[in-house]
Amino acid sequence: MKDLMFRIRKNPELYTGAVIAAVISFILIAGFLFSPYDPNAMSAAEKFAAPSVSHLLGCDNFGRDLFTRLCVGGVTTLFIALATVSIGVVFGTIVGAFTGYYGGAVDEVLMRFNDAVLAFPSILLALVFISVFGSGTFKVIISLGIVFVPSFARIVRGEYLRCRNLDYVRSARLMGAGDLRIMFVHILPNTFPVLLSSTVIGFNNAVLAEASMSFLGIGVQPPDSSLGRMLSDAQAFLFSEPSYAILTGCTIAVIVLGFSLLGEGLKKHA
Amino acid sequence: MLEVTDLHIEIEDSLIPETVVEDFDIEVSAGEIVGIVGESGSGKSMSAHAIAGLLSRKDMKKRGRIVFEGEELLGMERSRLRSIQGDDIAVVFQEPMTSLNPVKTIGWQVEEALRIHRDMTDEEYKERAIQMMRDVEINEPEKRYYQYPHELSGGLRQRVMIAAALICDPKLLIADEPTTALDVTIQAQIIELLKRINSKKGTAILFISHDLGVIRTLCSRVVVMNKGRIVESGPVEQVFNAPAEEYTKQLIGAIPQFAKVAPYYDISGKKPILEVKNVSARYKKITGYFTPGARQKLTVKNASFVMYEGQIMGLVGESGSGKTTLGKTILGMLDDTSGEIVHYSRMPQMIFQDPYGSLNPAKRVGWILTEPMRIKGGSTKEEQREKAASMLELVGLDRTFMDRKTSALSGGQRQRVCIALALMQEPKLIIADEPVSALDVTVQRQVINLLVRLNKELGIAILFISHDLKVVYELCSHIIVMKSGEIVEQGTDEQIYNNPGHPYTKQLLSSAGYVKSD
Repeated sequence: MKDLMFRIRKNPELYTGAVIAAVISFILIAGFLFSPYDPNAMSAAEKFAAPSVSHLLGCDNFGRDLFTRLCVGGVTTLFIALATVSIGVVFGTIVGAFTGYYGGAVDEVLMRFNDAVLAFPSILLALVFISVFGSGTFKVIISLGIVFVPSFARIVRGEYLRCRNLDYVRSARLMGAGDLRIMFVHILPNTFPVLLSSTVIGFNNAVLAEASMSFLGIGVQPPDSSLGRMLSDAQAFLFSEPSYAILTGCTIAVIVLGFSLLGEGLKKHA
Repeated sequence: MLEVTDLHIEIEDSLIPETVVEDFDIEVSAGEIVGIVGESGSGKSMSAHAIAGLLSRKDMKKRGRIVFEGEELLGMERSRLRSIQGDDIAVVFQEPMTSLNPVKTIGWQVEEALRIHRDMTDEEYKERAIQMMRDVEINEPEKRYYQYPHELSGGLRQRVMIAAALICDPKLLIADEPTTALDVTIQAQIIELLKRINSKKGTAILFISHDLGVIRTLCSRVVVMNKGRIVESGPVEQVFNAPAEEYTKQLIGAIPQFAKVAPYYDISGKKPILEVKNVSARYKKITGYFTPGARQKLTVKNASFVMYEGQIMGLVGESGSGKTTLGKTILGMLDDTSGEIVHYSRMPQMIFQDPYGSLNPAKRVGWILTEPMRIKGGSTKEEQREKAASMLELVGLDRTFMDRKTSALSGGQRQRVCIALALMQEPKLIIADEPVSALDVTVQRQVINLLVRLNKELGIAILFISHDLKVVYELCSHIIVMKSGEIVEQGTDEQIYNNPGHPYTKQLLSSAGYVKSD
């Protein structure tokens, strides 16, 4: 117990972040799984119903249960962010490993391509991909995923550059280990501490990117809900029914707060 | 002049506050040179930094009394302390490469303390700085004044550090391992310089080192520390000739002494194991595709030698002499080489200098040791683990080390694991690149004994790369001397030590304090 208190005092970001992220994710997932309402079932009689026992946070402009929609939308957002970051991490690690380990021409070519991708604002780039692929949940994932690859590639490349001339890598080479084995068995685990914190921070950026894209109407399509989509719907009622926009906005804010604290804490911990 | 009584230092960084220094007492009179000696983690630097007022971290608790010239330094006003630091008490650090600011000129850095503590004109500052640089025997001080740290060698940088420390004529100079990062010949020069400054200016010196030899030549009194406590203190001659404590005896016994440890080796009737013929090597700088790097100058020029089975060969030279490069060339780790290397046995293995870089920090000992067998294939998991465990036992570690993370090992344990890893591949020749330089003397002794045992029991030949002529004398039957990439001399230990032909070899031997035996 004393031990835990001490650790919390040493790194408060890590623990507060973990708790906030866990609680908000738990609420969203629980609501998504167990809510008795259909998130898309409309009911004209309950349009903008006030919070009550049957509708915890009231209803939206179509009389749909707001809590249920927030949970479903939140889970959609979290899922898109997770999938996006996974694409970014996996391909970023592969690109970073090859460029950092081999250097030379491979490095120059891939990294200049990387720089080109990084040079565009990520939303703009995602817009381009969307206009090529078309909109929809899975297309958003792929578009955002491609946009996320370069930043991870850069981080991983740095770690490989640092590690490739260390003595334990030389010693592995002397044992007769091949390049792929050295890259992915010997060096890769050493990039985890850095990779973990940037993954969490990247997750955050993905949540925001999804929200902005859906807000602009090019992400998740109605009637499916996502937090950005809902924020865009709520816009029209900002003055008449402000609680709709405020609740949606707060959900995004809490998710981002939790995961960015967690990311900062992990960075400090590494 | 300086009186420290009952100094305690605690770090509250982890859950249980760690006491790093306990019951530390020391007295330094004006003009005296006092040494603090101890192995890493003994608290010697901590104590010295506390005296210099450099331990200001919030989580460090200090108790006791540090009285300097009648004033209590512990708990003193920051502003008053600052007027003493750099003026009456000055510090020289270990690392000449990082303790100078790379973007400031040498002159600026030497003058800095003067600018803080004395009110003078710019011309007077410059005059004093150049005079001081001349006093610490920096050649061409007028030119150096305008140079930057990267233009200077390690030895010169350390002289600049000393000049900067002495510019205000401090009463006490605290020198924290000032010679450890330097080559032996430069080390000897710096020690001489400190001695001269002491006798000329009467500056008292508190000299911290792990090197008992250096302490012995420089200091009049010595304090031996171990695990945060003073083990023994007294006049140098008394402590060295008649140590009272067991730990001191052990420490002194571990100093390499120009006494043979390895058995006598006779070359006749032995088969060659490695032949190096006219080998040259250069480092190819890895640069971008569009900016091809200029070819680096030769780091090894035309080296030739032969090693025989079971032989321990010493390869000595100072930093930058190309000895490590030659070792790597033999193992085929460099691309840009010429000449011929003939291996008469399977590929040699290498033990690296830095035990902290040579083991993968993300893996466990057992995984690292079994990796060569996994790569080779054809063995079961049980066979791999069994062999790894037996190798661990061979190098003096028990089987429980199999499941330890490498980050939890000490320097000596790491070096043993590295040796076990080399042995896993059953080599006939091991290239050991400064394998004991990063270790404390007592641990160094253990590793040397282990290498000798492996040589004796398994008949493994060792190419021992080192800058330490004492250790080389203990181990090697044949010695190669390298300077600026060239082999200047090679021969038996008898020839090299008692009949050195090349002036450089003579210089190395005299810096190491070797006295000819008959």
